Order: sequence, then C-alpha cells, then structure tokens
Amino acid sequence: MSPSRLRSTAVVSTAMLAVVGLLGACGGGDAAGAAGVARSDGRPVYGGTLTYLEHQPPTCLYLPAAGFYPNGGILNQITDKLTWQNPETLEIEPWIATKWEINKDATAYTFHLRDGVTFSDGTPVDADAVAANFDVYGLGDDKLKLPVAEFVNNYERSEVVDRLTVRFHFSKPSPGFLQGTSVIGAGLVSKKTLSLPYEQQCQLKNVIGSGPFTLKNQVVDKEVDLVARKDYDWAPPSSKHQGRAYLDEIKIIVTPEDNVRVGALTSGQADMVRYVQAYDEKTVRDAGFRVYAEPTRGVNNGLYLRPGNSILKDLDVRKALQAGTNAKEVVDTLFTPNYPVATSVLSHLAKGYVDLSKELAYDPAEAGSLLDRAGWVRGADGVREKDGRKLRLGVFVAGPQPLSKQTLELVGQQWAKLGVQLEIRPADSGTQAVDIKDAEKTPLQHSMVGRADQDVIKSQFHSENRDAILSHDEKLDRLLEEESAQPDEAKRNAKVGEIQRYVVDQGYVIPLFEEPQVYGAAPYVQGIAFEAVARPWFYSVWKSRR
Amino acid sequence: MVLLRVEVAAVTRYLLSRVGQAALVLWAAFTAGYLLLQLLPGDAILIKFQNPELGLSPGQIAEIRSYYAPGSPFLDYLRTLTGFLHGSFGYSIDTGTPVVERLGEALPETARLASAAFLLALVIAVVIAFAGSHSRTSWIRGALLSVPSLLVAVPAFWLGILLIQVFSFRLRLMPVIGGSELQQLVLPVLTLAVPVSAPIAQVLASSIDEVSTQPFVPVVAAKGASRWWILWRHVARNAVLPTMTVAGLTFGELVAGSVVTETVFGRNGIGRLTEQAVNAQDTPVLLAVVVLAAGAFVLVNLVVDLLFPVLDPRLRAAS
Repeated sequence: MSPSRLRSTAVVSTAMLAVVGLLGACGGGDAAGAAGVARSDGRPVYGGTLTYLEHQPPTCLYLPAAGFYPNGGILNQITDKLTWQNPETLEIEPWIATKWEINKDATAYTFHLRDGVTFSDGTPVDADAVAANFDVYGLGDDKLKLPVAEFVNNYERSEVVDRLTVRFHFSKPSPGFLQGTSVIGAGLVSKKTLSLPYEQQCQLKNVIGSGPFTLKNQVVDKEVDLVARKDYDWAPPSSKHQGRAYLDEIKIIVTPEDNVRVGALTSGQADMVRYVQAYDEKTVRDAGFRVYAEPTRGVNNGLYLRPGNSILKDLDVRKALQAGTNAKEVVDTLFTPNYPVATSVLSHLAKGYVDLSKELAYDPAEAGSLLDRAGWVRGADGVREKDGRKLRLGVFVAGPQPLSKQTLELVGQQWAKLGVQLEIRPADSGTQAVDIKDAEKTPLQHSMVGRADQDVIKSQFHSENRDAILSHDEKLDRLLEEESAQPDEAKRNAKVGEIQRYVVDQGYVIPLFEEPQVYGAAPYVQGIAFEAVARPWFYSVWKSRR
Repeated sequence: MVLLRVEVAAVTRYLLSRVGQAALVLWAAFTAGYLLLQLLPGDAILIKFQNPELGLSPGQIAEIRSYYAPGSPFLDYLRTLTGFLHGSFGYSIDTGTPVVERLGEALPETARLASAAFLLALVIAVVIAFAGSHSRTSWIRGALLSVPSLLVAVPAFWLGILLIQVFSFRLRLMPVIGGSELQQLVLPVLTLAVPVSAPIAQVLASSIDEVSTQPFVPVVAAKGASRWWILWRHVARNAVLPTMTVAGLTFGELVAGSVVTETVFGRNGIGRLTEQAVNAQDTPVLLAVVVLAAGAFVLVNLVVDLLFPVLDPRLRAAS
C-alpha cells in the first residue's frame, strides 16, 4: 500500500466512522452507545467474510417484492438504485443518476446517468436498461406475469433521450416517484433478468444487478454466499468509501431459532444477526455486543379496524376500542425503549407526521361509556352483548411483526376489562390468505409498513394498495390520491397530516408502537449502515481485529 | 434341488406380493395426501401472490391461477399421478424450482442425519437395556430401566436448544454456524437419537426380562454359563426380534424428529423442506415428500421382515 493510499484510507476511515456515529445517534439509545465503541478502532481493512444470520429464508426475489426483510437484506447488496435516500436527512441524493430534472407538476422526470456502470453480466447500465426497469415496475408485464410495483404511481411511459439520459412520463403528478427510485424495490437489474417470467425472476440466481456484491453460491432456504465485485466503482457520491467493498464475502445463513441466532453471535460463531427479540437485547448488550435498532419511518405497528365488519361498522365501537387500548402498557411489558409508543398512525420520523397523542390517550372509562351508548351491555360472563350477539372479534397473529401473539394477548386482556373478547388465531397461512380479505371473518389486522415517503400511508390504506382496513371509504381514497399527486412538499405534508387525523378520528387504527428492525453485531464489525427503512447495507462494512 | 427351487419360488412370490402391497400403499398415500391438501383452505398460489406488496387484485390472482393449474381437480389429480409414475414431481409453486431438485438437495442431508441418529439410538438402547438387565443392584437396575421413559418424554426441540447452549455456546466445543460437516452433525444426531432410542431400549429391556424367565435359562445356567454369557448368547438373541419390529417403526419418529431438529439447527433437509412446504401449502413438494416418506417406510418394514428369518432359524423353517 503506497503512503498516499494509506493517508487517504485513514481520512476515509475517520470520516466514515463519523458517519457511523451519526447513524448510530439517530438509531436510539443502544446504537448511540455502540458508536462510542466504534470510534476507538483503526482504519478499514479489506478482506474477510461477514457471517450474517437471517431469521427467515428469502422468498420471491422479484425486485418489487423486495420489501420483505430477508429479501431486502440480499438485494440491497447486489443491486444499485437510481438515487440514494440519505437515511439521516431523508434527502434524495445522486447514485446511478448523477442529476435529474422534474417538471413543475411532477409529470416528467429526466435522469442523467453515470457513465461506465455495468451489470455483473457485463451489460451497461444505460438509459435503455433503466427505462426497461421502470417500464416493468410502472406497468407490469402481463405476458411475463410481472405485477406493478407499489412505489410507482401514475406511470405512463419511458423515453430514452440519449445513451445516458432517460425520461419518465406520468399521466398524473407523481411527486413520490423521485423517492420511489431510491427504495429497495427499485433496484436496477439487467435486461436479461427483466426478460424472464415472474417465476424465474423470483430466483436469486437470475437477479443480475450492478451492486457491490454478486451471488457466489446459494443453498435454497439455508445459505446465500455473496462475493465482492472487484470492479465496483459507483457507490453513491455521498459515501465516503468508494471503490470495491471492504469485505471479500458475506455468508447469509438462515437460522430460524431466536436463541440460536443470539447465542451464535455472542459465542463468536456469527458476526451479525437480524431480528434480535426485545427480550434478547439485554443478553446481546451484556455480552459486550451492539444492538442496532433502526427505525422504519412508516405506518406504525398497530391494529387496523375494518369498518366493513358488522360489529366494527359502528364508529362508537371503533373509537371505544381505540380508547380502551393501552399502547404504553404493551411497550412497557413486552418491548424496550427501542420501540417508541405510537403517537400517530405514522412514525414520528415519517414525512408529514403530526402528533396525535392527545386523541390517542388511553381512557377506559370513555371506552366503556361509548360501548354502553352503542348498545352493547355486559352479559353474565362479562362479555358484552347486543341482540343476542357477543362482542367478539377475531385477529390473526402477524408472522412478520415482533411478538405479535404476545402483543395481541395483552391487548386482549385490556379489552376483556371493557367486556370485549379478542379471539387470537394462529397464523396458518392458508386460512389467513382466504380470510384476511373478509372483514366479517377478520375484523381487524395487525400490521405495519415501512417506507420513508409520504406515500407510505397510501400503501397501507388505499383500496387498491395493501388496503389494510378493506376500505370502502371514498373520502379516504380521495385524500390519499390527492396526497400522492401533490407536487408541493409542504402541501403534501399537510395532506398527510389531514389523513392521519382522519383515520384516527374514524377509529380505523389503534396505533401501538413504532416498529424498529433490531440487529445485533459483534464489536469488531465496523461501518454497519442501513438504508432509510433499516435494511443493512454491507458495502462499507469491515472487520477489525477480533 | 427341487426343494430349493420350491423355496426360491416361495420367496419370489412373497417378494412380489410385498411389492404389490407397497405399490398400493404408495398410491393410497399419494391420493390421501392429494385429497387432504385440496381440502385445506387457501392454496399455494393465493398464499404466494396475496403478498400485500404485490398489490394484486383477486382477478389478477385468478388469472395467475389459471396459468398454473388449468382444468378440473380430477384432471389435475390424474396429471399429477401420471407425472409421479414417470418420476416427474413437477415444480415447487413457492420457489419455482423443480421438486426433484429440492428433494435432491434435502435428501442426502436428512439421510446422513437420520442414519447416524438411528445407529446412535441403537447403541444407547443396547447399552441401557443390557446394563440395566445385567445389574444385580436393584436400585441401579431400576434407575437404568427408567431412563427410557425419561428419554421418551424429552422434547427434541428443548433438547436441541439445551445441547446447543451447553456444548456450542458455553463450552464452545461444537460450532452450529460454519464448521465441518462432522461438527455440524454431532449435536443434531444426538438430539434426534435420544427420543428414538427410548422405545427401542424399552422393548429390548422388557423382552430381555421376558426371555429371562423362560425355562431354558436355568438349564443353561446349570451347565455353568456365566450371567454375561447367558445374557449375550441366549437371552439377547431371542429378545432381538420384537426390538427389530419397534426399531423399524421408529423410522416415523426419525422423519418427524428431523422436522424439529433441522429447524433448530438450521439444517437444510427433508424435515425443514416439509415445514416450509406446509407453511406455503406447496402441494407438489408436499406430495413428493409424502410419497417419499411412505416409500421409505414400506422399504424399512420390508427389510425388517426379510431379516426376521435370517436372525431366527425357527422362522426360516416355518416359511
């Protein structure tokens, strides 16, 4: 290593550690402590293998379906995006696009691409390839069975202006599109990948990206080995680290058992793990390891009430359940300070957030009188009844949500005091797939969505998106559409505020807490970074002497 | 010479009837599996495509379904059955890979685990039963012979976690992540062997007890044979037959235990494959697993039956 290289590496490492420190500081109490440890370590070293334990195997790796964390954890390493959302400021910064222009009403976006970027199959990342990517994400492909991506709204067509300039046209204003180009699902893949039918695009071996790592080996449902691309030289310009990744390899190993993951980490068999349960955080910290609790900045973990249900169609009942649920008790009993109590339907780090903690205050007396007013009277067994029907509501345990069963059990106890029976059903995927779209069988849903853009609230509530409440509320749909087509940032935030107020007032939601993604890592793992919605980015990670 | 030919013909007839039975069992397992999977609410396509991120409407999902499985359930049944007869198990709906490929990856892993666990279980069972039966001290005997009841009550899930905690995380003797294939095998084999050894030990011990009360035992003792000689040469040989039957039946235990063991240890075998396929209602994979397990069961029982006359001259004469 030449002296000048040495010096520049030292500068890079200092700067990078500062970035890590900042990241840590916004990641909550534990990570702030972790950043303190990171400071004392030396300059980055190249080489080594990171052993990363995943909770679940990846499913379909078709890019727009990459939101599932086990998928995102892989795709974030092998694909690049047009733009980079700075996880601290949430500003959109250049990446594969060096600059862009947006017309006044946000119906035409022009991106100027970086030259010399290639996919790992050798083909160039040029205007033609980028246009092909967004044509699929924006329009889908019936012949290849490719569905449209939820992060692209009102897409009309692409236009290749020249080799490195591409323009996208929209039928209506699409202000969320710029951020949409930075999300995990907008990873760019080679035209070879795009030409394959859905089934084939689901398979990791067919996903050819331009990212800092490529697939080396996969044992389906067990292990994914990624290897650094030696010629990678197009990291986001704001990244202090440029050139190839520090690590040589990443071994992503599926380890479903919670305590095996944590034990393997603390006994030195793994370097980093995803999904540290709230009750394991202390074990990890006490062993001298770091806990990274990354916020997901979107729609909060909560119960989503379906007004189409014959009991929940009554606003008073919905408001009663909202007032009679003690979110603070849920957090205090089951979780840690890394899971802040919800103060709105959105995370306090989400764009356009408004504080509705007053409206969401726990008030069991009010809940009781609302139920009395709605005509539900206590029966002999303590459960309220009306016209011979019990006040009984069913909910599925939500597999992806942390401690969903325990959360629902605790809420069930709180509701029992009100005279409401919560029937908690195990998440058998078949029954759930059938019943979840039926408000009568599944009157409420336990869920959340992460995305650092105003559109996240549309994703959760619009009747043509995730439709968590099986909405027939035309006003809500209209508000959401206005939000997603509002080019002015301040007006858009105001609209998001109005929507939050509306869904809380209508009792469509009982927000519980702001769900983080919690990772544990060994103290010698440096440079850990996350994208805006808490998926790990291993590009700048390196291992100091153990 | 004539006699030998008659014997060969008898054995052939016996084998043919067993093969016929096996085919019937396999067909029944396939059909029952197919019907039960049809009765489950939802299906693999719905589970896979109702992912809220994909935001597909019910109409679009129906379209995808027609692309996967055109025609009536009965036609589909016939088509799948024909496929199986030709050795083609179709494609996993969940992952899109050929089922044969998935089985090919998973089968060797489970075969290694299950065969090693079975051998270890035999060793544990024989040691417990012999040591218990041989012991003259009644409390040691009582204690040893109650071990199987204890072992059968140990949940594999709990045992696996306990072994990992102690040997991997505290003593750091065996890595569960990384490490050689042998290192990766030790703890899961132990986890799986313990519950499997219990019924074998129980039956072996009680057969030894039963045989020991038979009149030929005092005769042999009167001729001056040592206790150990009697146990080993005379009692055990007679006690081994019921034990073999039970050992054959523990095959089911091995398959069921591998689901838990492979999940706890993150091994990529048939058990884990089954668990995931059940979750996703991945019918082609599940059907293949059901038929595979039934086939293995039939084979194991056939081997046990064929071994009987080899081990016991009385049965040879009878047949």
